[in-house]
Amino acid sequence: MTYIVNRLLSVALTLLLISVITFMVTNILPGDVAMVIMGTQSNPEALAGLRESLGLNDPLIVQYGRWILGIMTGDWGTSLVFKTAIGPLIADKVVASSLIVVMSMTIALSCAVPLGVWASVHRDKWQDNTASTTALFGVSLPDFFFGIMLILLFARYLGWFPSSGFVHPADDFLGAVRHAFLPSLALGLGLMAHLTRMTRSTMMSVLGQDFIRMARAKGLRERTVIWRCALANAIGPVITVAGLQVGYLFGSIIVIESLFNFTGMGWLTYQALLNRDIPLIQSTVFVIAAVVMLTNLIVDLLYTLIDPRIKLS
Amino acid sequence: MRRFLTGKGIFGGTILLLVIVTALFGPLLIPETWATQMDMRARLAGPSITHPLGTDQLGRDLMYRVLLGAQTSMMIAGTAVLMSLLIGLPIGVVSGYFGGWIDNVLMRLVDTLLAFPALLLALTISAVLGPNLTNTIIAIGIAFTPYLARIIRGEALRVAQMPYVEAARSVGTSDGKMILRHVLPNIMPPIIVQATISLAFAILAEAGLSFLGLGTQPPDASWGLMIQASRDYLDIAPWTALVPGAAVALTVLGLNMFGDVLRDVLDPRIA
Repeated sequence: MTYIVNRLLSVALTLLLISVITFMVTNILPGDVAMVIMGTQSNPEALAGLRESLGLNDPLIVQYGRWILGIMTGDWGTSLVFKTAIGPLIADKVVASSLIVVMSMTIALSCAVPLGVWASVHRDKWQDNTASTTALFGVSLPDFFFGIMLILLFARYLGWFPSSGFVHPADDFLGAVRHAFLPSLALGLGLMAHLTRMTRSTMMSVLGQDFIRMARAKGLRERTVIWRCALANAIGPVITVAGLQVGYLFGSIIVIESLFNFTGMGWLTYQALLNRDIPLIQSTVFVIAAVVMLTNLIVDLLYTLIDPRIKLS
Repeated sequence: MRRFLTGKGIFGGTILLLVIVTALFGPLLIPETWATQMDMRARLAGPSITHPLGTDQLGRDLMYRVLLGAQTSMMIAGTAVLMSLLIGLPIGVVSGYFGGWIDNVLMRLVDTLLAFPALLLALTISAVLGPNLTNTIIAIGIAFTPYLARIIRGEALRVAQMPYVEAARSVGTSDGKMILRHVLPNIMPPIIVQATISLAFAILAEAGLSFLGLGTQPPDASWGLMIQASRDYLDIAPWTALVPGAAVALTVLGLNMFGDVLRDVLDPRIA
């Protein structure tokens, strides 16, 4: 219990630091919100008036205080590009992105675990070499390049999946999954490659341990030894790495969602950065960093459920 | 040396050598005009004798553009990794060697930066500073620093507890001398391995940034920029994406393979 309280305090402190960094980075932008609203050719007096009314002449610390207070009370400000309240806009996009994050994680794990196990069981044979080389290719291909290939193959030539767009799962669940499939696959490949390598190496170290020899000596079937005894002991680190990769996924969705015109968090962040929509940049960057950090916390807590030997301290 | 001579080592090393030679000597041997010359009659032309890898939407030769793009991509990735090493090394070593409150403060900061996905951090910095070649380097360099600092700290912490460090301390070696003589040389092998792998990620990051228009800007030819330009012509000229994409993939593959072998040789603990 003390551990959880300590962790939550540390999360709160890190969130505060994240907010400070986000605010500082976006405030060194040449030009400010007033300039973005009125354009560079605007009347200097009108610009000064707008600055005053937006509170941009206040000291930075006051501006930061106002912003963080707004974040905490649910008033996230208004997007300059989309002209709507930022809070509901982000909530909507987080739902969209969750769909591809969950789908790509499912694709990655359901391919990586069998492939990694297969490679470790046939250590240094052709099966291992095939799996390892596939994984190495997966790590090396830029995900957007893989995305382009997927669009060409599955959307243009075969016509099986739409190449762009987003459908809300509440409106049409099947349509939503179909639209999210190619972006998820593009994201999932790189992830799968990492996780295959991880599964292979942890499985190898587990397979070398005494209890596996014991299980075999007892006459358990090989299938039971590998899938029940070995994998149960090897899956923990794989899940941890998968959880840590959520951060990597949230970086990659910016590129992938823009490529597939999938209007989620990544796409929103990209639009904000491209149009210098400062309030929106601050909020999207802050939300992504917060989501990554909270995922890491959840993975740490889950770890004790997967492996009860681990004590949180 | 013999341990480098595995299939992976030879393949990875050869690709890496080819890319480095191309990046260093390509611009000396190939006049820049060959890559910028537009042949309007041969726009989006497929591979032929005059243009072995085809041409892009402005009729420029893709082979020369990819060869010259190697320099931009490698230069950006190399300088960015060097920059993150120059910032990350002092932070990591001081944190791991001294420990205590310095370690707490520095690692809290590093952990906070780690909560930002590297690509998001790089994109934000690049958008803030304004996208161009120098700022792309700065953006990637800063984004990679926390990762390297974390790894270097772990290594410095391990070395600081070694008996030889204690022995040196007991004969009165100063902290500065200790770091230079005993800590740095002993943490170098894993750092070199990590730098090689970071180089692969930096090439991918540059490609991603340029692909989104927040990295290298025309007229500089980088691989990511070439893939971005090809997006509108995928249906009629898929090679415009395939050629630079293959260049990125091969280089990163070479670096990853070389990094794997380098790890086996330099840092057998992890292997």
